Amino acid sequence: MEAITGWWDDYFWGSLVVVKLFFVALFLTVLFGLIGAAAKLSKNRVANTIANAYTVIFRGTPEILVLLLFYFGSAITLTAIAQAFDPEIKFVDFPPFWAGSFAIALIIGSYATETFRGAFLGVDAGQIEAARALGLSNLKTFVYVRIPAMWRLALPPFGNHMLSLIKDTALIAIIGLEETLFVAEQAIGTTGKPFTMYILVGAIYLGFSTIITLTVMVLEKYANRHLEIAE
Amino acid sequence: MSFDVALIIDSIPKMLMGIGLTLQLLFLSLLLGTALAIILLLMRISGRWYLSVPTMVYIYIFRGTPILVQIFIIYYGLPQLDFVRDSIFWPILREPFGCAVVALSLNTGAYVSEIFRGGVLGVDRGLTEAGAALGLSVRHRFVYITAPIAIRLSLPAYSNDVISLQKSTALASTITLLDMTGIARTIVAETYAPYEIFISLMIIYLILTWVIQRSFGWIEKRMSRHIRSEA
Repeated sequence: MEAITGWWDDYFWGSLVVVKLFFVALFLTVLFGLIGAAAKLSKNRVANTIANAYTVIFRGTPEILVLLLFYFGSAITLTAIAQAFDPEIKFVDFPPFWAGSFAIALIIGSYATETFRGAFLGVDAGQIEAARALGLSNLKTFVYVRIPAMWRLALPPFGNHMLSLIKDTALIAIIGLEETLFVAEQAIGTTGKPFTMYILVGAIYLGFSTIITLTVMVLEKYANRHLEIAE
Repeated sequence: MSFDVALIIDSIPKMLMGIGLTLQLLFLSLLLGTALAIILLLMRISGRWYLSVPTMVYIYIFRGTPILVQIFIIYYGLPQLDFVRDSIFWPILREPFGCAVVALSLNTGAYVSEIFRGGVLGVDRGLTEAGAALGLSVRHRFVYITAPIAIRLSLPAYSNDVISLQKSTALASTITLLDMTGIARTIVAETYAPYEIFISLMIIYLILTWVIQRSFGWIEKRMSRHIRSEA
């Protein structure tokens, strides 16, 4: 255990990177999920096809491949573009933080697409007709009627997506982002205590998962407060 | 930057050399993981706290931490402990393949046991009560009434878990195993052509996913043939 002394601050900064990554990716996940769900529910055939291809591809391939494709793919594209301007440049990459959060957000976003689609379909059609009858525009119906009614339905599965999201952040260490797993690798290099260091990473992630689970429980209680039996 | 078709044609056979390893990892972990899941399930629903509480802790830990961290703890971490190196399991845990199978089985066992539990809880109480009225013992009721129905109920979720296990096998490439992803990463390191290699590999994985989905679809249809309406 004394091997960890001196590494606490590194683990702290690593965890902070995980937290930042989580929130950036969470925002993008919701965005991709909403766009995907809207595309799946629209009557436009092109949008339908693209959204279907999106969910099939990102739900059917390993996360690590998507991540590697994004990071190394963007790196050679950026390098090629940079070299067109200045042949001296050897290598430009997309920062691992952004390549990583984008990749995992696209993956979890494909799951969120299905969740949101189901939740939108779960909203009573009568409410939307009522909004229409009141003369609300499409956008206003979306913001004031559909969203408040659907998030409650989407919350339980979305909680699981958030857990997958936090766990997938560990993969980004593979492309060299300095998060907890990366810190552990460095700590092992000096202390030679892999078990201790990786267990600590596991404990940190378990902490994050617990926080997310508890938060979702509180949110679910809040979302369903109108269904509670009055005392 | 161009899309090198010759390279794709050249490297697909190379990557397919790893499909054997990918499938071995998948089937072995699936078999062991499912066996573990059944044991965990029986402990969980036994009604004895000294069996169900450890199971809940196990499931909580394995579902709350990233699979990559679990793989690293088992492959890099365990050799730090002397008693692991002296134990009879050392021949398995010394090899990356053994470690990958152990990690994937332990992980998938936690998820699958929850799926099975959902299936068992979904069985109509009236059926087991009818069994009790007929004088069947607890064990007979479980084997002949609860289990067949629970299996059918948990099959859709189980097939999703098989797909996510298949995707997790790609992580074996992080502990030096040359499965399809491992080979692809080696080719990319040599040729620096991430788009060509990773996209063709994603297509191979998509085909595998499709095969798994189709097979389970067929099994599901067969198992619920008594419910299907006459047409």
